[in-house]
Amino acid sequence: MTIADPSPQSTRLPFNIAALVFVRERGIIVLWVLLLIFFAIYDHPYFASVSNFLLILNAASLTAVFAAGVGIGAISGTLDLSVAGVAAFSSVVAGKLIILGYPVWLALIAGMSVGILAGFVNGLITRRGLNPLVVTIGTLSMLSGLAAVVADGYTIPGLSKLTFMGTARYFGIPAHVYIVTVVYLIGTIFLTKTRDGIRLVAVGGNPEAVRRVGINSARYQLLGFVLCGACSALGGLMTAALVTEASPQANPGSIFEALTAVALSGVSLGGGRGSLPKVFVGAAILATISNGLTIAGVPPYWATVTTGVLLISALVIDRTLTRTISERLVVMSGHISHPKKP
Amino acid sequence: MTTPALNLSNIELHYGFVRALDSVNFHVNPGEIVGLLGDNGAGKSTLLKVMSGAHRPTTGKIEVNGRELHFHTPKDASDAGIQMVYQDLSLVEAQDIATNLQLGREQLRPFPFNLFGIVDHGAMQRSSAAQLDRLGVRTAPMTRPVEMLSGGQRQVIAISRAAVRVMEGNKTGHNGIILLDEPTAALGYEQTRLVEGLILKMAQEGIAIVLVTHNLPLCFKVADRIVVLNRGRKVADVRKNDTDNDSVVGWITGAKAAEVTA
Repeated sequence: MTIADPSPQSTRLPFNIAALVFVRERGIIVLWVLLLIFFAIYDHPYFASVSNFLLILNAASLTAVFAAGVGIGAISGTLDLSVAGVAAFSSVVAGKLIILGYPVWLALIAGMSVGILAGFVNGLITRRGLNPLVVTIGTLSMLSGLAAVVADGYTIPGLSKLTFMGTARYFGIPAHVYIVTVVYLIGTIFLTKTRDGIRLVAVGGNPEAVRRVGINSARYQLLGFVLCGACSALGGLMTAALVTEASPQANPGSIFEALTAVALSGVSLGGGRGSLPKVFVGAAILATISNGLTIAGVPPYWATVTTGVLLISALVIDRTLTRTISERLVVMSGHISHPKKP
Repeated sequence: MTTPALNLSNIELHYGFVRALDSVNFHVNPGEIVGLLGDNGAGKSTLLKVMSGAHRPTTGKIEVNGRELHFHTPKDASDAGIQMVYQDLSLVEAQDIATNLQLGREQLRPFPFNLFGIVDHGAMQRSSAAQLDRLGVRTAPMTRPVEMLSGGQRQVIAISRAAVRVMEGNKTGHNGIILLDEPTAALGYEQTRLVEGLILKMAQEGIAIVLVTHNLPLCFKVADRIVVLNRGRKVADVRKNDTDNDSVVGWITGAKAAEVTA
């Protein structure tokens, strides 16, 4: 006996739905390409060059690293706002160690470790059933305070030993671009190809379902916080390396830019869906707009306005597409909401 | 006389002064489908939770395949070969059918990739397709996200996962027991037919099935035996062929005197 599905969609999606799915899944990449083409024409001949493209990637890098942290957090079902605090604290810790004469590698490991530890603590506190937003706002304030304590309230200058991962270029490509590439490569493989990554995404989508098949879902929520802490710390160290000083001041702009890139990429803030490469494209779009408008001589605040408009339109379009797709699927599968008599 | 796959005797469960279950005897044989009916608050969900290990009875004995067991957690019950399919679906919406079916038992790629926990998507899709084939289920490609499936398809996937787990994780010496809580609650006619077929197929494979439902036509169609609870007591335990719709409604509402024949 075969339990044959009566609906016709059993094998393939019809073309119009497949097209809608394509727009929803790949729309952000199309948008980026369109923006690149638009500015290439509008800012001719200054925009469309390899060196300007590298500038855009470089400018996108910092946001992209923070966005990777926020994005992985969001995919695993948590929202970590302590990003800026973790970044400030870990850069100050690393900066202080370098000034005190410790080797650079040790300072970097220490900086990364405090970030991971901060994520761990965030996760442990949230595990008690507290709202992650409020908890991480608390740790944000705590960590930026602690950063000021470590740095005695002043910016730590003279970190020229860090330029190798800041302004340095290798084969003409900025150091930050290499770092971002590695982060996104590892992150993407982790989320899509490894058992723990797949479970992390599943926990973000439906923790109860994961728990019911016998997996400890709390462990994976903790992992989400730890990975977010690690990315935040890396972003802090990259910032310090770029400006060769470590500021104890948490920069709230970093979290909002990162959140914008994440939301633009279609990562659900409710968790369970999203892809890291698209998060990177989100960050790249922000950098492209700012770069293209600057070259055109448009005052920079218009870039902020454009970003806001884009973000809201992206959300509206995504919602509309998702609704249309599910409506069409329901119609197609012959779903009958009122049982009819046999 | 076969040994029941699952046998509960004299189960009592008290919530404070409320007696949710009052010396209930219940059994289900391998390959048998028992419809567990009752009005809201009659105790059927509570009884199901006792079977799935989510609740511990105040007194009473639970035997699986003739062996007395004590369930402290749902994991104990699942280790004993009992799988519960919940009313609200336990699937991860954004992930595909294969991932959902293999969740918690993902296959890894061979050395050296397994050291990094790299999963073998191809193998997972193949074994998922084979498992569904064995149950005679054909729904959609294994790579289709669950959120793009109809309600009936989702329910079929959730039930199939439970069936695969009792059939394959079988070190218990019996064919497994599946507890279904309102499997057709949100489904239309065609969708219900899908689930119906799957329930019958699982019974053919020798799985013992307890079906909690408000859907009397479904119950009469698939169940071998019907058990009715009313205010925590078992008021009927009859073979389906020995009864009719009106009697069952009478027992559910309390209008008909208790009758335990099976």
